[in-house]
Amino acid sequence: MTTKIDLTTKIGNLVFKNPATVASGTFGSKDEYIRYVDYEKLGAIVTKTVTPKLRKGNPMPRIYETPSGMLNAIGLQNKGIDDFIENKIPYFSTILHGGSANLCGGRKIKTHLIVNIAGESIEDFVMLAKKLDREDGVSALELNISCPNVKKGLEFCAKPDLTYDVVKAVKDATKLPIFTKLSPEARDFLGVAEAAIKAGSNALSLINTIRGMAVDIEKCRPQLANVFGGLSGPAIRPIALRYLHEVKREFDIPVMAMGGIMTAQDALEFLITGAHLIAVGTANFVNPKATMEILEGIEDYMKRKSYTSIDKIRGSLKTKQADEKYIPAG
Amino acid sequence: MFDEVVTILENRKVNAEYYKLIFSSKPLSQNVLPGQFLNIQIDGHENLLLRRPFSYYRVQGNRIEILYEILGRGTQVLAEKRKGHTLKALGPLGKPFTQKLKGKKRVLVAGGVGVPPLVFLAEQVQDKTKPLLLIGCKSKKEVLPKAELRKARAEVRYATNDGSYGKKGFVTALLEELIEREDPKSLFIQTCGPNAMMEAVMKMADEFGMEGEASIDERMACGVGACLGCVVETKDGFKTSCVEGPVFSFSELV
Repeated sequence: MTTKIDLTTKIGNLVFKNPATVASGTFGSKDEYIRYVDYEKLGAIVTKTVTPKLRKGNPMPRIYETPSGMLNAIGLQNKGIDDFIENKIPYFSTILHGGSANLCGGRKIKTHLIVNIAGESIEDFVMLAKKLDREDGVSALELNISCPNVKKGLEFCAKPDLTYDVVKAVKDATKLPIFTKLSPEARDFLGVAEAAIKAGSNALSLINTIRGMAVDIEKCRPQLANVFGGLSGPAIRPIALRYLHEVKREFDIPVMAMGGIMTAQDALEFLITGAHLIAVGTANFVNPKATMEILEGIEDYMKRKSYTSIDKIRGSLKTKQADEKYIPAG
Repeated sequence: MFDEVVTILENRKVNAEYYKLIFSSKPLSQNVLPGQFLNIQIDGHENLLLRRPFSYYRVQGNRIEILYEILGRGTQVLAEKRKGHTLKALGPLGKPFTQKLKGKKRVLVAGGVGVPPLVFLAEQVQDKTKPLLLIGCKSKKEVLPKAELRKARAEVRYATNDGSYGKKGFVTALLEELIEREDPKSLFIQTCGPNAMMEAVMKMADEFGMEGEASIDERMACGVGACLGCVVETKDGFKTSCVEGPVFSFSELV
């Protein structure tokens, strides 16, 4: 007998057909992966960061491979919000049929479009949120307050009150659900997470890349023109998992988890630790079909364990209270 | 575009500079044009995380040849692979070199990793005037075995830094000689190789009014235009070398 496996994941009113999504900046902003991935099979698509105006991005070189990871300093290269609304959203609306996750008259569930936005001021974030609020194809916003590669990129997660102010302002400006993306670079990580939740963030995205550096010993120069770049890939996976656990221990908030998820095994570690959604990032660059293979692997695991619902996995991490005492918080 | 697991048929040292990798794949060998490339996952281990881009060197039926140099960790590991080992290759990717020229004489200027795609181009073109293939390298030790150039429908000339083979000096010295003999405006340059070499070629092209195109090699991750890691500065802003390139016309480049 084959039992049906239910991967449906809910965050507030949003119903995701499965927990698999992509990390902002690793899946392009339109059709870059359409040859390899059936977009409708993803729980959601998260776009590359959109900013108020065109951003040229950082000078070259922008990337460098490091052990089990990569540094990037792209610098939020994008054509700006107006171009995004004019040229990108209609594309998604066409292929994803409005981004609606409802069972449209019995038709199969489509996927969600989550637009990642970043600005240099609260006004920027509010303006972006208002413009996207009017767009039918958009399911949620992800606030990038943790980009390590641009000036002021990390400003809004430097202190809890700054986080609170920006999230609250966006919350007041839109009805769209909000994911706030945080960085382990925030000194008061749990304080910042709490501020985002108090300000009305519907979920958190954990974690953005961590700043790193590499040196060309022949030229005696940094490997990146920007000197520092955000480290991603398997190298940061244990760190991402730790932050997820810390947040889930303290707060009752859904999390989109990312950080070096390459395989179903990795994704399951995050789901077991309590993630609602898992976002595949750097793995897309290595294996364009990574998301699809991870979904298959999750189903295989569930079959093996005789689980029929993903709810059985989420947060199933067993820890002894005695052990937990020794884990320093923050 | 296809992402295929391929089995190595041959992987051996050709000379002091190059190794040759051979494998067979129907999807990866269809409709390939010189200048296009494959993004190859050399090792499934996470330590060597990213794929590496390699130009097509030769395609015969389903058989694909890649000519590469050891330039870093990735190619070091690749050189240790043996017959029967597998790789994962994504391709064919990128915009190829212009195949058909209107009346102009084709001059291919190559060095290092730029030699393989331009030899491939020299084998494929059907120009009325025989193209010139100018190759620069350090010394005689790096000169390709004659058999590798047998199918090139081009007149091949070498320049070596130490003068041990062909003309002494940089490959641009061969281009300078040519300009003295022929009208620069009747030439079309196609170049691929170290950045310093291509910059020197483009500077001459600008000075003498020569048209042409360059295949730009930048550090690359995805190969499909998503990561924006491999961009090239053009007059219309940054363009991806993986999708919008790697071949760009001189007039596009800043």
